[in-house]
Amino acid sequence: MTRLSLERVSFWYPASDRPALCDVSLRVGRGEIVALVGNVGAGCSTLLCVAAGLAPRVTGGRLDGRVECAGPETAGGGRVLLLPAPWTQLSGMGVTVRDEVAFGPANLGWPLERIRVAGERAMARAGVADLADRDPLTLSGGELQRVMLAGVLTMEPALLLLDEPTAELDGDGAAALWAVAREEAGRGAAVLVATSDLDAVPDLASRVVWLADGAVRADGAPAAVFADDAIWREGPGGPAVADVWRAAGLAPPWPVSVTAAARAR
Amino acid sequence: MSGLHPYTQLALATLLPALAWLVPGPRAPAIALAAAVALVLGTPRPLRRLAAVAVAAAPFWLFLFLLHPPARAALVGLRLTTLLGAAAWVGALLAPGRLVEALVARGWSARAAYLLGGTLAAVPLVRAHARRIGEAQRCRGLATRGALVTRLRAVHALVLPLVLSVLHQLDERVLALETRGLGAAVHRTPLDPPADSPAQAAARWGAAAACLAALAARIA
Repeated sequence: MTRLSLERVSFWYPASDRPALCDVSLRVGRGEIVALVGNVGAGCSTLLCVAAGLAPRVTGGRLDGRVECAGPETAGGGRVLLLPAPWTQLSGMGVTVRDEVAFGPANLGWPLERIRVAGERAMARAGVADLADRDPLTLSGGELQRVMLAGVLTMEPALLLLDEPTAELDGDGAAALWAVAREEAGRGAAVLVATSDLDAVPDLASRVVWLADGAVRADGAPAAVFADDAIWREGPGGPAVADVWRAAGLAPPWPVSVTAAARAR
Repeated sequence: MSGLHPYTQLALATLLPALAWLVPGPRAPAIALAAAVALVLGTPRPLRRLAAVAVAAAPFWLFLFLLHPPARAALVGLRLTTLLGAAAWVGALLAPGRLVEALVARGWSARAAYLLGGTLAAVPLVRAHARRIGEAQRCRGLATRGALVTRLRAVHALVLPLVLSVLHQLDERVLALETRGLGAAVHRTPLDPPADSPAQAAARWGAAAACLAALAARIA
């Protein structure tokens, strides 16, 4: 079942003649994790905003094409976007982390008991249960990003959109976040993640979409996309393991994870 | 005082400067200012707040005494200082989240309530951001402390990045709030609406009546 469908989508920001997205078609199914990769300015964040229904509704601009998202919008099962910088996502309404996490479902009009149960569960999953009574303004960037993750998990999204979600996290925090993304997919959500953590992509995503100048350059399994020499020359590159194989002068397809490299050996 | 309903806090903070401006003669503003100072003394770090009020009021007093006769200058100065004192008191006590909860519980839309509360909530965020920018600029060799001239020279290197980054953050914050349902077409669930009481409601009506009576007396 398709959760997100983009059909020939082009998008222009206000006062710009150059499209930020150009004729993009993409489908993300239930339980699927798709990674968006690309150079800076390739359009990954814009695509996530379009998928989240924020562009052009909130950003302004012009959109051509069709965007469809399956699932109710307001009673849970909607689409939620996690941005890279936690400080800009703080509602400022929460005296405690528990209040901050409850901000989203409260806006959706959920009953209080459901908000409390979902909030406690989301905080536990994001690893911030022990911070529940802390003032969000006193947290570190990494702690705050995990709080923001709990905030979006509380809303039980059918489509989870992640924009460079590990930017503020250390290695353990990033691994925990990817594990949560896999759990979300396991419960049936569709996950679309824009990331420059290319080493994590092969173990995380079943598909990789390479964006360049707002257009889809490649869409396929990680091993296939990272086997294309063009993504190394003109795109963001690929996982470090594959880079080692390339540097050694070996022919593609290169292993894209340590596990695949061990098998290839 | 921090346990009062936000409406009551706002009513009291409005009452003092309103009476100071509406009641003729120097006695009312002097009493209102004394009341405002007493209220500020009950907040955390009161001396710091009173110092901030004095620093904000000082230029007004200076220009008032330059432009007006002493009696008139003192009267207007008292009124302005009462306004600043009341603002300092309510700024110290009024929690934006509690205000939003109170407004939503009274039927306001979450978006409209956030517009009011979010403005207050932005103050500590911007202050923390300004502190980070100051630290970053000092790491890059900018002198921001010491003599007044040195501080003035540093202002543009602090203000410009602060303004630009706040504008950028505003865009991102709007996206973040929208994706978390702020614009949803349903009524927000109040999480912990502040407790109100008949006595507080009566006090608010009393404050409104006192302001109206003072206004009527002033007009008559």
